[in-house]
Amino acid sequence: MNGSRHDRTGGRTEAVTVQFAFTPAAAYVRAARLVAADVAAHAGVATGLLDEVRQAVGEACTRAVLRHRDRGIDDLVRVEFSIGDRFVAKITDNAQDLRARPSGRIGASIGGGESRTGDRDTLEEDTLSEEITLIVLGGLVEDLVVTGPDANGGTTVSMSWPLPGSGSAADH
Amino acid sequence: MRGTSGDGAAEPELGLSLSDVGEYAVISVTGEIDMYTAPKLREAVRQLSSEGRMRVAIDLTPTEFCDSTGLGVLIGARRRLSDSGGSLVVVCANPRIRKLLDLTGLDKVLDVRETVPGE
Repeated sequence: MNGSRHDRTGGRTEAVTVQFAFTPAAAYVRAARLVAADVAAHAGVATGLLDEVRQAVGEACTRAVLRHRDRGIDDLVRVEFSIGDRFVAKITDNAQDLRARPSGRIGASIGGGESRTGDRDTLEEDTLSEEITLIVLGGLVEDLVVTGPDANGGTTVSMSWPLPGSGSAADH
Repeated sequence: MRGTSGDGAAEPELGLSLSDVGEYAVISVTGEIDMYTAPKLREAVRQLSSEGRMRVAIDLTPTEFCDSTGLGVLIGARRRLSDSGGSLVVVCANPRIRKLLDLTGLDKVLDVRETVPGE
């Protein structure tokens, strides 16, 4: 993990970045979301938004781990937090296709016994999870962008939250 | 469940306690449901159904955290129990998790209640 200095008493003297990467295993998603909430708190993200940061970063990391696991990729999941005008979180995987297509709400595709392709059991949990993570993220985070796959492979989930005095706090 | 993995990292905590309320087998969940701990909850539901307990309530009111993996477990549990002629009730008076159920539309799909039926 690395970072740079942040002057909490006055203006931000330089950009602050915290980066780390983790083996795509379920056991480390918790660590990532807890670090996210801690870095966000230090950055000055409003207390009422910290749960949202924790949940959203956890969802994005879960999605990345699922994408690596489903495709048998051992590469590290990369996480970056940056503090400037806003608190920005980026979670990058190395899986090259965009499989899930968020369809709005899970209930729309599950309710009423509507049948979808394949055995019903395959819709359970893991199969649905990548899509669910995007639906949760879409409902949770106002500023959400999913990009890629890019030339280097993988997709990036970018999210941001306002910081006090940034002029963007009114966004929420 | 609390412990450390081989490299010393703290593991998420998930506590499951079973009780009977009326005709429902109730699983009360404390701690955090995520992709690491969710299999334990999934297995608990499977265990109950294998014992013929087809009316199951999962109580998320005391749950500290739940992510989409946990929602996946709820969806899977509902399917399995419904397919076997049973039913799943999700008990949740926890506003944070209610918000999650609401924004995903699962509040319309799952039988979500404030208390266990018959309580």
